Amino acid sequence: MDMGKRPDLFRWLTVFSGSVILAFILLPLLEMMAQPSFEGLWQTLNQGNVRRAIWLSLYASGLAALISFVVGTPFAYLIARKNFLGKRFVESVVDLPIMIPHPVVGIAILSLAGRGHWLGQVMQDLGIRIMGSVTGIVVVLTFVGIPFYINSAKTGFESVPDRLEKVSRSLGASMSGTFLRITLPLAWRSLLAGMIMCMARAISEFGAVVIVAYHPMTAPVLIYERFTAYGLDYSQPVAVWLIVVSLLLFLLLRIISLPGRAKA
Amino acid sequence: MDRSILRGAFVLCALLVLTWFCAAPGRAEPAGRCIVFHAGSLTVPFAAMEKDFERQYPRVDVLREAGGSTKMARMISELNKPADIMASADFEVIDKTLIPGKARWNIRFATNQLVLCYTEKSRFAEEVNGDNWFEILGREGVSWGHSDPNLDPCGYRSLMVLQLAERYYKKPGLYERLLAARPKANIRPKSVELVALLKTGNMDYAWEYLSVAVQHGLNYITLPDEINLGNYHYDGFYKQASVKVTGKSPGTWITRRGKSCTYGVTLIQDAPNPEAAIAFLAFLLDPQKGLKILEDMGQPPFVPCRVAGQEMWQTLPRALQGFVEVKE
Repeated sequence: MDMGKRPDLFRWLTVFSGSVILAFILLPLLEMMAQPSFEGLWQTLNQGNVRRAIWLSLYASGLAALISFVVGTPFAYLIARKNFLGKRFVESVVDLPIMIPHPVVGIAILSLAGRGHWLGQVMQDLGIRIMGSVTGIVVVLTFVGIPFYINSAKTGFESVPDRLEKVSRSLGASMSGTFLRITLPLAWRSLLAGMIMCMARAISEFGAVVIVAYHPMTAPVLIYERFTAYGLDYSQPVAVWLIVVSLLLFLLLRIISLPGRAKA
Repeated sequence: MDRSILRGAFVLCALLVLTWFCAAPGRAEPAGRCIVFHAGSLTVPFAAMEKDFERQYPRVDVLREAGGSTKMARMISELNKPADIMASADFEVIDKTLIPGKARWNIRFATNQLVLCYTEKSRFAEEVNGDNWFEILGREGVSWGHSDPNLDPCGYRSLMVLQLAERYYKKPGLYERLLAARPKANIRPKSVELVALLKTGNMDYAWEYLSVAVQHGLNYITLPDEINLGNYHYDGFYKQASVKVTGKSPGTWITRRGKSCTYGVTLIQDAPNPEAAIAFLAFLLDPQKGLKILEDMGQPPFVPCRVAGQEMWQTLPRALQGFVEVKE
């Protein structure tokens, strides 16, 4: 009897904590989603600058996730597989963008891109502009998003047993062949999850973006501009659309990565 | 005999209690948190005032929140964010957004003027002066900016200065020509944010209030009173400048006309801590205290401060009436 009761109590605890957390996340969001009228939502969607801003947000943060994938994957593999002096330090450096206040990120990136800095000079000579450009936005979003990708990819690579790679190598496959044919197929779900996290973090970024680029406007910047210029009635519908679009996108990506989990 | 002593003692006690009650509000000094919303351009002087004020009233904790005036007023009127005081870079924001729902009066307390800021790193920094700035802004490769006219009074005022310059220097087409040379990317929500762009070398010239230029240690060019929007004697000339800014909803527009920069301050109706707020306002409006700090930081105050009419003057808290005169 007693034995049967205990897990029950625990199960209730898990259910309880789950509902508290869901309510905590959903209540404010639902409250906001319920405010705008259908008409307002429709009108908002028909405004060109709203669609452009949401598209820019998706596009720039998708690009940030892609860059993180390309640049971050080998590095994540290195951290997962090798032990080296100062590894803990390197891992902490990767996490830094999560902790730094957002406006500081924006100002730091701008000061590199300025005329007073040699890097800024080089970029100017090459015709690369950071301030007020899509390039600048992507740089900022990659900066804030990449830790999420690397951490997730690292965990993915760590979960692939070492010996599988060793078997492959002992059978004569090269290191890159092993990586592409053994490690990557086993870890890709973690990589995808990392890209989702990276993109999600990037979509929400406001503080750093608004310093580097006010125009062209990403969705969070447009929401801020609308709130300031017109008030809540005109900023909320944009927020609702951003949430709806992001939710659909992330749901889709999660579904892609789902069947594997069932098999495992 | 006994009874009369008893009665006397009772009356005495009652009187004592009564006087204590009457005296209590007078004796209790302001305490607690006092929330002040103010224009971004007031940040430095208000920070100095906060320090001095808290030294004088150690039990009050002044919490300041700075931002574009229009946004700050909206925080109060639409989001019902609790605030005791709102100080705006354009006194009309208070009239339009807060009166009558959230405030009853509007005291004009300071002026400002627009200047063109730059740093030593700016292109053509060594040759720019009061006579050639409008020509330099139009040069190839010079990057200059202003704040968003729809969000920040400093933004539409910057555009007005350019319009007035066209008339004053008799350079037809100057305004259009200069705006065409200024990419949209050089606009920022608040003028103070342009300072970071100047200092990091991402921008050469930016329009700012004189006070901001002084407080941030920027180089700046002062303009003639006829175009700097700082002297209300020229309001007649300023009126010729007009800028279209967004109205109440997307796609609607209103026209702002040129006018001298005048700062306004008000007490919010349902202020959580009116005692402390009135004490702070009295400090702000005092020519020896708050107004002196403003003066020292490049923001000429009105001495005494002004309200629009006798009726409004009547609604002011007693403690403030002495610092304020009625003047249109």
